[in-house]
Amino acid sequence: MSVPANPRDAVATPGGTTAVGDLAAPPSAGEAMRRSSLWRDAWRRYMQNKGAVFFGGLFLAFTLFCIIWPFVSPYDIENDPVNFQEAWQGPSLKHPLGTDQLGKDLLTKVALGGRISIAIGIGATLAILLIGVVYGSISGFAGGRLDNIMMRFLDALYGLPYLPFAIIVLAIIGTNNIWTMVLALSIASWFTAARIVRGQIITLKENDYVRAAKAVGARWYRILSRHLLPNTLGVLIIAIFLELPGVILGEAFLSFIGLGISPPDASLGSMAQEGRSVYRVHPNAIIIPSIAIAMLVISANFIADGMRDALDPRTRETKEH
Amino acid sequence: MGLLEVHNLHTHFFTREGVVRAVDGISFQVDAGKTLGIVGESGCGKSVTALSLMGLIPKPPARIVDGSVNFMGRDLTKLSERQLEDVRGKEMAMIFQDPMTSLNPTLRIRTQITEVLDRHYGYSKEDARKRAVELLEEVQIPRAAERLDDYPHRFSGGMRQRVMIAIAIACNPKLLIADEPTTALDVTVQAEILDLLEELRREHEMGMIIITHDMGVIAETADEVAVMYAGQIVEQAATQDLFDRPEHPYTEALLGALPQLEGENVRGGRLRSIPGRPPDLIAPPPGCRFAPRCPHAGLGDGCAEHLPELRELRPNHSVRSRHPASERAGERQPVAT
Amino acid sequence: MTAFIIRRLLWTIPVMLLVILLTFLLMRQIAGNPFRRTARAVPVEIQQNLERKFHLDQPWYVQYALYVKGVFTLDLGPSLTLRDRSVNDIIKEHFPKSLELGLLAFIWAIAVGIPMGVIAALRQNTFWDYSLMFVSNVGYAVPSFLIATLLIYYVSLKANLLPTNGWDGGWQYKVLPAFALGLAPMAYFARLVRGSMLETLQQDYIRTAKAKGLRWRRVVAVHALRNSMIPAVTAMAPTLGYIITGTFVIEIIFSIPGIGRYFVTAVSSRDYSVVMGITVLTSFVIVLANLVVDILYGILDPRTRDART
Repeated sequence: MSVPANPRDAVATPGGTTAVGDLAAPPSAGEAMRRSSLWRDAWRRYMQNKGAVFFGGLFLAFTLFCIIWPFVSPYDIENDPVNFQEAWQGPSLKHPLGTDQLGKDLLTKVALGGRISIAIGIGATLAILLIGVVYGSISGFAGGRLDNIMMRFLDALYGLPYLPFAIIVLAIIGTNNIWTMVLALSIASWFTAARIVRGQIITLKENDYVRAAKAVGARWYRILSRHLLPNTLGVLIIAIFLELPGVILGEAFLSFIGLGISPPDASLGSMAQEGRSVYRVHPNAIIIPSIAIAMLVISANFIADGMRDALDPRTRETKEH
Repeated sequence: MGLLEVHNLHTHFFTREGVVRAVDGISFQVDAGKTLGIVGESGCGKSVTALSLMGLIPKPPARIVDGSVNFMGRDLTKLSERQLEDVRGKEMAMIFQDPMTSLNPTLRIRTQITEVLDRHYGYSKEDARKRAVELLEEVQIPRAAERLDDYPHRFSGGMRQRVMIAIAIACNPKLLIADEPTTALDVTVQAEILDLLEELRREHEMGMIIITHDMGVIAETADEVAVMYAGQIVEQAATQDLFDRPEHPYTEALLGALPQLEGENVRGGRLRSIPGRPPDLIAPPPGCRFAPRCPHAGLGDGCAEHLPELRELRPNHSVRSRHPASERAGERQPVAT
Repeated sequence: MTAFIIRRLLWTIPVMLLVILLTFLLMRQIAGNPFRRTARAVPVEIQQNLERKFHLDQPWYVQYALYVKGVFTLDLGPSLTLRDRSVNDIIKEHFPKSLELGLLAFIWAIAVGIPMGVIAALRQNTFWDYSLMFVSNVGYAVPSFLIATLLIYYVSLKANLLPTNGWDGGWQYKVLPAFALGLAPMAYFARLVRGSMLETLQQDYIRTAKAKGLRWRRVVAVHALRNSMIPAVTAMAPTLGYIITGTFVIEIIFSIPGIGRYFVTAVSSRDYSVVMGITVLTSFVIVLANLVVDILYGILDPRTRDART
């Protein structure tokens, strides 16, 4: 399917604000000097956005917690002996989130699960971007007939149902570990990233400095690597955080229906899946890992929104009034 | 008594960075059947003035903080939003700068014309249709009846501006405000649109306000001119007098920046631009707002400290400057203490 | 407009062919064969007989051609593991439940999400805006299985208001699954519509409408609403993908005998024809939805009609 780009024109800023002086320049050309101040402006705008700063901090804090806590924690989930006397305890000083059916500390389990979820999420996002950049830049840079064929192919792929596709891929591979999860998640959702990159490349290709580079006989790979790809960076950074929530949720869904990574490793999604059999008595078994997932997803959403506003000042102007 | 009397109007924008004094104390009058031109650089507050008259300023952040707009015996600044809606499009209408974005892309031209008739006169569907055809013919759109059911994207820029004009005159307004009506159009089309506006003004005996940054447009259409700078009127006069004997240094600069085709005034074919930039309207200069760019302002003459009043130099010619051309006697005099 | 629709309809044919081909090739990669899987030794002759019966002995392109023919004659073949049942039977039995669940979720997502977005935009930066957007941000991020768990735990088990699982047997069974499934799309629509409504309200033609003296109600309903629906309509197709994904999860939690739950079983039992059939069917639903979206888009925005016919 070809979703046409929204044809409406740019938002008109109402009267007075334009009188104040120049608005920040949009991220247009690739002059090196201006680029550095562009990033500084973007950073400043991002820091002004309270929600984005809060959730950015939360995301960072949770990630650090997941990495560090298992080393610091007094509990060793794998090697501690099973202790049924302490099974299904509620929150206490000793176990801030309580314990599971084997009497193990849930806080430590969440940290371990979070590690795997974040690793899979970031891994799959990077894979999505890698495939997207390769496919999108070939298509956009080549243009003409090849571009047309590649885009039609992409249109057709949009007809593929995401989850069944991922399930089939997992079934083909046969084993479920972090790498196969990354593969299954990325192979079914790189289409949008490819489209974004292609669009960006096509716009940039028309810029004068690219034409100038061509005119002096620069090789195509040089134009692509020196002039085009660096300028898609802003869009790609936003894309990372736009894709991340979907991938984290996708992993959680796959795990929840029993297609997650194989035990003893467990992601947050597989923790929730373990809780499926007991949630009627112990709802915490699903609720705790799910809240951790929700926290990651909501943070990534706010970060993506904040970044988009920071890198594209136009959208922000309309919000100020 | 004039059709429209604006007195000491202040429209300010309350933004995060501070209060932007976009319109800062302007007064003028428009008589029935006459055209007032408001001219100035972009950002001088001329469009905000027009939107303030119509009650269309975006609030928040903008607000009319002081002054009055007397139109046909009522102060529009005192009316409620619903009362204003009854005036807008009926007695006072407006056309905008960019016809490409000013029409709704998803509605037929017919709907966009008839809805204003329906709103103010409650025309029946059939009557409204007939009237819409008449209006399109009046603004000289060929095959008017057929084009009624088209969408805006099938019209060229000039044709869309004609549609905008048809909408504006649909209810026979007493006052038509045209905000940069030709700026976005091709040069060839500009003259046609100006002629059309002029013709319609005469036939409908409307008062008109033309807002532009183009002195050529003023020369062609306006009976009287107000020159705006940094939210204030700096010079006001009959058009002929203003062009013949500009008084304010800013007006002189604007006229100097106008390309002249006759022999001696062509300075190597180059436009003279005004050095410097318009002032920041959050913290405008305490004295004359033009002082930082004014070639005649000197140290110790008070320009930088005290805002000059708008004073009448001669009948129907006012200026806000300590150094009007007629008092300079050609040469710039050292200021006597 | 008619030409546009016909062109779009024709375009779905190569898309479906490609989707079938991709699924087909992928399925061939899955290790294992339903007839060789069992530990119990099946005599070689029987195995060969079965393979012949299901054309598994033919080269892949013949199998593909036969399969495509089957799809276009609406015969998806027999199940490989369930004796005497065809894929058509299985779809007929399970698909309507999933379709109903998906549609209910989709309808409530739109019916609530769009007005929510509009209200939030019209009341920008007020208490209403903030609370609606809070709900939307949370609803968008919380995995549906958490919502489902909480609902079952509090509404069904504690308060004993609605049944905990199942599907057939009246509306009581459908409320919780449809709510849980539709929450995230609802939140998504609300965010999207709020954003596009705010952008639309900034447009020049809105100022024109106000300059005509139109009542605010009409400015919003006639001029702003329609234009701000365009991004929401575009987003409907990807949302449908999300809902299909979601049905898999929701069907498992609520033990609904829908097609998603059946699919997972079919994959693990290597029932090629069922997996193929379900994948092709969902693809068809998605392609169809994209078609509807394109047509709706054409209706909403007259410019695209001219550009693409």
